[in-house]
Amino acid sequence: MRIRHGLISCDSHGQLDRDAFTRRMSQAKWGERIPQVVEVKEEKFPHPVHRWMVNGKVTGDSVCNCPAAMEGGVERGYYPQRWEEVPVKVYDPLERAKALDEDQIDGEVLYPNNPVSNAAFLQADAAYELACVQAYNDAMAQWRDISDRYVPLAIIPYMSDIEVIVTEVARAVKKGHRGIVMLAQPGMTKAGLKHFNDPFWYPLWAACEDLGVPVHWHGSAGLATQLAVPRWQGFTRNQSHTVSTSRLCATPAQLIPNLILSGLLDKYPRLDWVCAETGLGWVNYVLEACDHEWERRHLWTSGILTRPSELFRRQIYVDFWYERAGMELRHQIGIDKIMWESDYPHIASTYPKSWKFVEWALDGLDVKEDERKKLLYGNAMRLYKIL
Amino acid sequence: MANAGRFISADDHVQEHPDLWTKRLSKAKWGERVPSLKRMADGSEAWIVDGQPIALRGVAMSGALMADRAVEPTSWEQVPAAAYDAKERLKAMDADGVDYSVLYPSVAGVAGETFGRLSDAALELACVQAYNDWLIEEWAGVSPRFIPQCIVPLFPAAAAVAEIKRAVALGHRGVIYPAIPAELREVPHINDEAYDLVWATCQDLGVPLCFHAGASQAIQVQPYEGYSDAIAGALRAITRPVSTVAVVVNLLISRILLRFPKLKIVLAESALGWGAYLLEYTDFQAKGDRLHLEGYELTPSEMFKRQCYVVGWYDRASLQTRHFIGNENILWSTNFPLSTSTWPNSRDAIARSFQAVPDNDRQKFLWRNAAQLYKIM
Repeated sequence: MRIRHGLISCDSHGQLDRDAFTRRMSQAKWGERIPQVVEVKEEKFPHPVHRWMVNGKVTGDSVCNCPAAMEGGVERGYYPQRWEEVPVKVYDPLERAKALDEDQIDGEVLYPNNPVSNAAFLQADAAYELACVQAYNDAMAQWRDISDRYVPLAIIPYMSDIEVIVTEVARAVKKGHRGIVMLAQPGMTKAGLKHFNDPFWYPLWAACEDLGVPVHWHGSAGLATQLAVPRWQGFTRNQSHTVSTSRLCATPAQLIPNLILSGLLDKYPRLDWVCAETGLGWVNYVLEACDHEWERRHLWTSGILTRPSELFRRQIYVDFWYERAGMELRHQIGIDKIMWESDYPHIASTYPKSWKFVEWALDGLDVKEDERKKLLYGNAMRLYKIL
Repeated sequence: MANAGRFISADDHVQEHPDLWTKRLSKAKWGERVPSLKRMADGSEAWIVDGQPIALRGVAMSGALMADRAVEPTSWEQVPAAAYDAKERLKAMDADGVDYSVLYPSVAGVAGETFGRLSDAALELACVQAYNDWLIEEWAGVSPRFIPQCIVPLFPAAAAVAEIKRAVALGHRGVIYPAIPAELREVPHINDEAYDLVWATCQDLGVPLCFHAGASQAIQVQPYEGYSDAIAGALRAITRPVSTVAVVVNLLISRILLRFPKLKIVLAESALGWGAYLLEYTDFQAKGDRLHLEGYELTPSEMFKRQCYVVGWYDRASLQTRHFIGNENILWSTNFPLSTSTWPNSRDAIARSFQAVPDNDRQKFLWRNAAQLYKIM
């Protein structure tokens, strides 16, 4: 990746074309279950709308989560209802590269978009899930073949045996993926999946460590409703949105401490972890709370040999995009562990004025030139081995 | 300045004595349903309320006083006197440099949630009143250095209001309430106007409404079953304060603070490291969601600064971003006698936490904010 602008987005969302799955999955074997865009009639709309259908079930309340790329941008907040409304710069990697240049961004780390979320294919049966996951990973890997400005992240087939999961990750990485994105605590998201701490996952951690690819948690990472005050029926849609997005840190602020206390960081000392779309101003809480309890309870006598804040600064990365509190504490959090994100093309995206947000976040904080480089692209280049 | 060096610990816990309820509730009327300690088959003791064991691990929350902080006492004879005896408590406070101590329960639930689970309103009220009476008789009556706070019947509002008025007349200075009442039994969502009389009463009487972290297990990640007691206890202690995030976000958008602009809310055992992040984030989201067009005349952080308090005890670097939270909105504590407590080294802990904090702010957090809130002269 050529660095021309000095900015890498470490959390953007790659939208696959509407035929990405139908082209890759066997029609004879999967038929209507193949993820695809279909036309449906919804009461709210006078004309038929498009929706993604997965395993025969219609999903979502738009066909593509890309308000930042629509005319009027995030201020208008419009979600396309028909595929022909979706801008090409969202799902075509060549056209998208022009949008990157327009926003003066060198490259982006790609998390999924419609219809793929943390565990969209975690339904029906293991064979179906695996087929969808492979199609997704193949399709996203092609973006990297087209341009090395894209750093795709693979998804995993939760219902398969661990050997199958590991094989799929190795296959995806060989094809160009630079990490995996997964549920923060699979057992909490879906009954039947193994707890995050369960030895079931050890081969996956070992494989990621060997392959040199980090594990990513995005947003609430599968725990959107679990760690919340039950939704109040009296809230409007906007009020509910403020509540659900403002507490996004609930997942990493509780599960990073669990990761630290699990012993996994010392067990896999070269494996890195990334929390995206959750900012960084909660990290100081995690460091202080963990260090405090570690000291109070002498946790080194219980197997946690390394001080929690040291473990964090060794192996855990976080992203920022529009916050200042966390940026004020960047040295306590760890200047080598902070990366930037644009969240393109979602509603919180900084596109197309990303540099304005960057300057706003860093303004007046006396951020030295070498620090700036680390925050804006240097840490990402090191983590993702971007040459 | 006369208050220099003085310290109000805004969040400590009393340990209820085994005879608290047995002495005050009629055996003839309630029989075996009275909260009491019972000997189990394995020789340990456990608190039984209305025939059911409560969520408390061991018989007390007094880890700070134990030889090993990871181990809670499993029978009453192991419970150190400073946990349940007011005179012994005063000595422990003296040893740790604490002038005043704001009191929360243990057996009754850190937020009074134990009796909120009872379906029998008469038994619930009897248990609640016994606690409130005991705290006045055995603690506030012993020393003015104890700041008693009452628990209340969960619902309906009229029952809670009646007990608040009775308790405040007895000398209680704050009202403890669980932040998610609807998970205790079938009652309305906390945002419902059905509770407005409770909030109005707190506002009118000038007593803070206190939500203590840990009353809801649902908003806390639970320890892995393979964890040792030490690791499990540490994880609970870490996830508990930050679970306040869910409570605060809901509160700021609930309109409760808009309807009751003079109501004060204490978020006990919250720590404050997440506070700057949360207020900055919620303001940003509320603006993006255009909530000013939906009748919110103040931003979330403005409402917070007008009415809410967080309580720290070990936070250090996080104090650097205190301007996001508000210098009038931070209290301090020792969290005695929980395992997480800074006791008996609170002076050192405070010195470390406040290294880079000017004296004026330090006095606010350690003394003035709490003195004003609880009207301590």
